[in-house]
Amino acid sequence: MKIEEVIRTVNQMKADGIITNYAIGGAVGATFYLEPVSTLDVDIFIEVQAEAGSSIISLDSIFSYLRERGCTMEGEHVVMSGWPVQFLPPTGPLIEEALGSAVEVDVEGMPARVFTAEHLAAIALQTGRAKDKARLLQFIEARALDLSSFEAIVAKHGLAQQWQRFQKQFLSS
Amino acid sequence: MAEISETIPQFMSFNFEQMAASKQALRRRLTALPIAEKLRLLDGLRERALVIRGASDQQRIKAQEQSPDYGKK
Repeated sequence: MKIEEVIRTVNQMKADGIITNYAIGGAVGATFYLEPVSTLDVDIFIEVQAEAGSSIISLDSIFSYLRERGCTMEGEHVVMSGWPVQFLPPTGPLIEEALGSAVEVDVEGMPARVFTAEHLAAIALQTGRAKDKARLLQFIEARALDLSSFEAIVAKHGLAQQWQRFQKQFLSS
Repeated sequence: MAEISETIPQFMSFNFEQMAASKQALRRRLTALPIAEKLRLLDGLRERALVIRGASDQQRIKAQEQSPDYGKK
């Protein structure tokens, strides 16, 4: 069970033209900036091109590529190197921007593309589950965010009210 | 109470400020680890979480989190 093998496979998918680009998000993405926190799956955000003559994005090519390499499907996840992995096409402007702004990090000689800390924090604010709020708090407490850049993203994507509520709930003493 | 105190090792402290500071220091150390090491810790944490859940081999794969509604708000 190794996340590094998942990243290696996703890099290979990019090299083979199965996906145009990718970025790691969720708890695994946050681990690039924070202390590791237990998670059960890996969120990989992907850029894929719609098939010629269609505006619909299909993930079939991804699944058949991975099946050929011994991966199995479990619901909405693909099990790769023991990890359930979810491939997520962008579902809104914030994720699209996060994918475009993702940074490449060296993992012992292997490249890994990851959302910026500010985008991970903004996505956590947007998704808004208890664990997402806890993650946002972690980013703030660890001083892992460029706050002006984060607040610009928050404003641009209409999350100012959520941010105000969050500050009132968790940051005012 | 005295009997209970005797069972507590000498090095343990109930100074909560000290405990909070020590916890913060540990979190900073974990954050500063090389990324490859942190990813290996995630592997270990998942293994442990699955053991705690008491899942059988077949159920292990099915232990997944509910996905957030990315971008739907």
